[in-house]
Amino acid sequence: MASTSISKAERSYIQAGLLASPARRTDGRTVTDFRSISLETGVAPLANGSARLSIGQNPHNGSGGTEVVAAAKLEVETVEEEDGTGDGRIVCSVSCSPSAYPNLSTGALDDLQHDLTTVLHQTLSDRSLHPSNLVILPGKKSWLLNLDILVLADSGNIYDALFMAARAALWDTKVPRTRSVEYKAKRNEPIAKNTSGGSGDMDVDQDTTSGFDTRKIISNAIDFELPDYWDEGEVLDGRDRWPVCVTLNLVPPVHYLDALPLEEASTPVRLLLVFSFPSSAPPTLQAMRMLGAGEVNVAELKSLVTEGEKYAKEMMTAITFKLKEEDVRRNQKAREKFAKR
Amino acid sequence: MVEITIRKRSQTEAVITQRKFFKKTARGKVVKVLRERYLRDDVGCGIEGCRECASSDEELLPVNGDLTHQSYPNGHYILPDTNVFLSQMDLLESDRFRSPMILLQTVLEEVRHRSLPLYNRLKALTKSEDKRIWTFYNEYRSETAIVREEDETPNDRNDRGIRIATAWYNTHISLTRPPIRGQTKNAPPTVVLMTEDAANRQKAEQAGISCISVRKYVEGMKDASQLLDLLSATGSDDVEPTRASGRQVLYPEYLSSATLMAGVKAGELHQGHFNPNPYNYLEGTVSVPAFSKPILLAGRENMNRAVQGDIVVVELFNEKEWKAPTDEVVDQEATLKNDDAEDSAEEGDENGEDVIAKESRVLRSAQVPVSERQPTGRIVGVIKRNWRAYVCHIDSTSLTSTLTTSLSTQTVFATPVSRLLPRIRLRTRQAPSLLNQKILVTIDRWDTTSRYPEGHFVRSLGKVESKEAEQESLLLEYEVPYRPFGKAILDCLPPEGDSWVVPSKGGGDNHNVWRDREDLRDVIVCSIDPPGCQDIDDALHAKLLPNGNVEAGVHIADVSHFVLPDNPMDSEAAARGTTVYLVDNRIDMLPSLLGTNLCSLRPYVERLAFSTIWELTPNADIVDVRFTKSVIQSKAAFTYEEAQIRKDDPHLQDELTKSIRLLNSLAVKLKAKRMTAGALNLASPEVKIHLDSAESSEPIDVEQKELRETNSLVEEFMLLANVSVARKIDESFPQTAVLRRHLPPPKTNFEKLQDILRKTRGLTLDVSSSGALAASLDKCIDPSEPAFNTLVRIMATRCMLSAEYFCSGSVGRDTFGHYGLASDIYTHFTSPIRRYADVLVHRQLAAAIGFSPLHASLHSKSHVEKVLDVVNRRHRMAQMASRASVEFYVGLALKGRGEASKARGEGEVREEAFVIRTFRNGVGVFVSKLGIEGLVTFTRDIQFDADNYTVTVPGSASAGSKEDAKISVFDKVVVQIEVEKDKNTQRGKVKMTLIEPVDSRAL
Repeated sequence: MASTSISKAERSYIQAGLLASPARRTDGRTVTDFRSISLETGVAPLANGSARLSIGQNPHNGSGGTEVVAAAKLEVETVEEEDGTGDGRIVCSVSCSPSAYPNLSTGALDDLQHDLTTVLHQTLSDRSLHPSNLVILPGKKSWLLNLDILVLADSGNIYDALFMAARAALWDTKVPRTRSVEYKAKRNEPIAKNTSGGSGDMDVDQDTTSGFDTRKIISNAIDFELPDYWDEGEVLDGRDRWPVCVTLNLVPPVHYLDALPLEEASTPVRLLLVFSFPSSAPPTLQAMRMLGAGEVNVAELKSLVTEGEKYAKEMMTAITFKLKEEDVRRNQKAREKFAKR
Repeated sequence: MVEITIRKRSQTEAVITQRKFFKKTARGKVVKVLRERYLRDDVGCGIEGCRECASSDEELLPVNGDLTHQSYPNGHYILPDTNVFLSQMDLLESDRFRSPMILLQTVLEEVRHRSLPLYNRLKALTKSEDKRIWTFYNEYRSETAIVREEDETPNDRNDRGIRIATAWYNTHISLTRPPIRGQTKNAPPTVVLMTEDAANRQKAEQAGISCISVRKYVEGMKDASQLLDLLSATGSDDVEPTRASGRQVLYPEYLSSATLMAGVKAGELHQGHFNPNPYNYLEGTVSVPAFSKPILLAGRENMNRAVQGDIVVVELFNEKEWKAPTDEVVDQEATLKNDDAEDSAEEGDENGEDVIAKESRVLRSAQVPVSERQPTGRIVGVIKRNWRAYVCHIDSTSLTSTLTTSLSTQTVFATPVSRLLPRIRLRTRQAPSLLNQKILVTIDRWDTTSRYPEGHFVRSLGKVESKEAEQESLLLEYEVPYRPFGKAILDCLPPEGDSWVVPSKGGGDNHNVWRDREDLRDVIVCSIDPPGCQDIDDALHAKLLPNGNVEAGVHIADVSHFVLPDNPMDSEAAARGTTVYLVDNRIDMLPSLLGTNLCSLRPYVERLAFSTIWELTPNADIVDVRFTKSVIQSKAAFTYEEAQIRKDDPHLQDELTKSIRLLNSLAVKLKAKRMTAGALNLASPEVKIHLDSAESSEPIDVEQKELRETNSLVEEFMLLANVSVARKIDESFPQTAVLRRHLPPPKTNFEKLQDILRKTRGLTLDVSSSGALAASLDKCIDPSEPAFNTLVRIMATRCMLSAEYFCSGSVGRDTFGHYGLASDIYTHFTSPIRRYADVLVHRQLAAAIGFSPLHASLHSKSHVEKVLDVVNRRHRMAQMASRASVEFYVGLALKGRGEASKARGEGEVREEAFVIRTFRNGVGVFVSKLGIEGLVTFTRDIQFDADNYTVTVPGSASAGSKEDAKISVFDKVVVQIEVEKDKNTQRGKVKMTLIEPVDSRAL
């Protein structure tokens, strides 16, 4: 990222520090150390899921560091004709606060936002990660999930921050429960006499369809209702699948994690590896991207991916633990506190 | 430096401080709504003298609660659950129910969510002065606020909140009343949770909260027997739990409302108003936009608990199952005579089976295929109930004990006065004393297991056939607002009252009454009205102009001068819509000071008027028309008869008589023009009731209204004025002009009449246009029977649609026309004292001539539409009410006449009548002399020829002739008319029997 300009002398000094054994970084971290990450969910009460994440913020006064806010908002969408979006869509967008990049012109800022949006959107809207519960009425209505991330401050490692915040916000997202309302005409049937209890005309999403059945199933459901409007809803399906990103900053032959802006400026190539760790399946590499002018050969790449998976796993464990803690804090503990008042 | 403290609560407390919920908007979007909640410690308990809670000057609950209930000798307050308000509002509204009540915010909100009308009644209840209700905002008091647990349904959460609030109240009361040394400690009053929900009661008991069901509570009250009747039927189930089990389901369940909406949207289901068939209680129809013919619903099960006027959703059957409406008269009372009120809901009792068998017989016979099939279906749901209070009689046979001293609860049938309604089952302790009374009954519910709707007794109107009871029941039945005008309304009248006069021109005119008013006091104006008319709203004048043309003027009472837009009097008039004329009474739209005095264009006094003045050629073509507010002084008030005599008297040559003659000559030409344009000469049976004297108001006799030339004179000029005004206001306010139209009737409406005429008389009716119809109606003459033409006209009129008010911007310009009058545009301008639409038209016309600015509400299309909807409905109801009133008096007159003729030894009243309809087991007849319709049913088999509209009564010795008698539509018959009271319900009923050509008394 060309956001920070740097002199040749500075660059060679930083590179020399990284190549030394043991590596010397300006803030004294080792090559695989992350700065401290803080994470909070539910920061935007009107969103369906939200999170605020910062990397390397000063714990005492909250200054410095990279800071992003992510919010997921669900919107009812009428499915247009046959364009294959019948089961909901995810649209991501990243916007950068100009104060995060004071030295970028408006045009450059737009470009940056666009780059970040593209990476995030292409990765998260992939079919392999698609949550199954975005459908309201099959083929008629579905949820459109808008995931908006705002970059408030960037002091390095923005991609990792973006993906982590996205994961946290999506983890936090709850989909309002809906019930499809449908009227099935019962043709050629004698009128049910003395039907007791609810007659079978009401169909509440109970259809189980065989996988062999390739016919187009035409549902008569026209509308839906909210059975319980006080309820936040159920969690977005596949919350454990949402990936994390690890940026490997390559200063051949070594690589390091969580670069500071100056370090980023003096690193020729960066490799983004996005891993998903589904609970019941082996980890998958969801995306891979090279940033910068340098080059990496295939053999090196292979070992880097293996290394990256290891880092990503650690990161995932930490973030998932924190997210679960947040869930408890916001619900159970808050209730207990209320009861103890 | 000022220190700034940030009061915003941290996000970590969100669970407590925020209330979140989702809302689905009308457009189908889902919106998340967030409400901030601040919990306080100073939400008052509302009990007088509570030392903790600051008492405001509002009405507080008494210190010791209510001491009269036998279960709570230490005093108590009741804290009702939501379901109490949802089902027992009548009880809580009763004057006798005076227990102090604590209304929780949770309950209030739940009621609002469940039913808006009930919520509004509840709000009114809390404001009423004789109730002691304290609204406690429990969701905002920190001790009673609760947070929804995980997996807790909203209902459970609310129930829990209500229980916690009850518990808090009880501890609060005991804490704030510590024992005082030296005094014996009185137990503090209890707060009792009142709920119909057994599960909630159980939980409350476990938590040590005292609770009670409504029925139990009322049983312990002082006025238990009266109050118990007000209990809605909902509560009866848990009192006798054994009854609820094993009931036979008689009707299919309704689908959920969301399903119904989905079905209607998808076009699979059809929505419309339910109209029962007045001749056959087992049949009804629903008109839907999808079909030109209404959907037929045959049989109880397919009508599925719909009551007249409900908005229902219908599912169609396959086309091969479509049926034609029955041609048989099926009387509910006759068929269900032996049905027992106690048992009718029970499982498999003999009686029930009997009824089912009987009904299915009726239905089977109805399945005979006839060429005229119409869409048939069944009701699968009800969108909106149209239940109101109905005027009923108690069916005496349904009583198990008729001893007036008996106070045991009985289940009895109440038969509504209207034939369109099913019998209502109700439980009452006062049954014996309610016999022979007209009573008001509300329907509470209609379960799938109950053949009849269940209701409760509201109040008694008085003895059957007493004038007061009959009149009030009539007004209630047609929903005519008849309460006296309130103070706010009377305050809108001029403060001078009776002594108000038009101020003298010039100096004395403080209120600028004369501004822009023409002085027409010298013009020779007169009014012509029916005899005894008090609200004279029109007057006329005519004079020859020097150029040979005629100046004619119509002067209408300037009501809009007194009724200003948007004040209480205006809103009341808008709600009443029209004055209702009953035979012996008039329910005014405006306070009588205006209607019969200040606005009435009485002779010899100065009155404000709104004048329409034409210059007409001697051929009655309009040269010019102008509108102006004016001051007139009528020179005479004639009755039609007086005016006629004056006009015909050749000796009278004064100005007044001349102007009447001038008006008459113009009216004749105007009428001729209208007729050439294709106006219809319609007929409706109109009769006049002679009243003995004002006090006794015993009807002496009935006669048909006489029409004179002068009736037509007034009518023609009113039509002319209405048309001229309509053009003017439509021109000035093309979007919001108040107009009146009469849509051309669909051709299919006439099919049956055309067929009857062709088959029985060989006559044809051309319905292609109003002109063609008028011409062919003129040809429908039977030389031997002059009344035949009138009869055909009456029947043709019934095929037409009714005229309606509309807002010019709401419908297409091509539908503005008035079919009956053959005018392209029309409105009502000439009777503002008795019709609200005319008041609106006056305002618009005043604005159109620049007299005054138009009130903003009359610029709003939606507002005008809303007002006109009400006016249209009121208008319809008013017509039906006056008709019913005439019918009642005709009945009384008949009774009197019958008694008189019996006294003379001449037997029953006999009248000539025309057959207007034939049924499988009877004929419908119209007695033109009395203006009433009746039904003659034959108990013996007769031959019915549906295609030729004839019935053939086989001859027999008992009927007086051996020959078969063939009776077809339009035949003249002689009927014997008697008024008989139904033995069981005391409902008066006109009974007709055929005398000629066959005597049906023996049949």
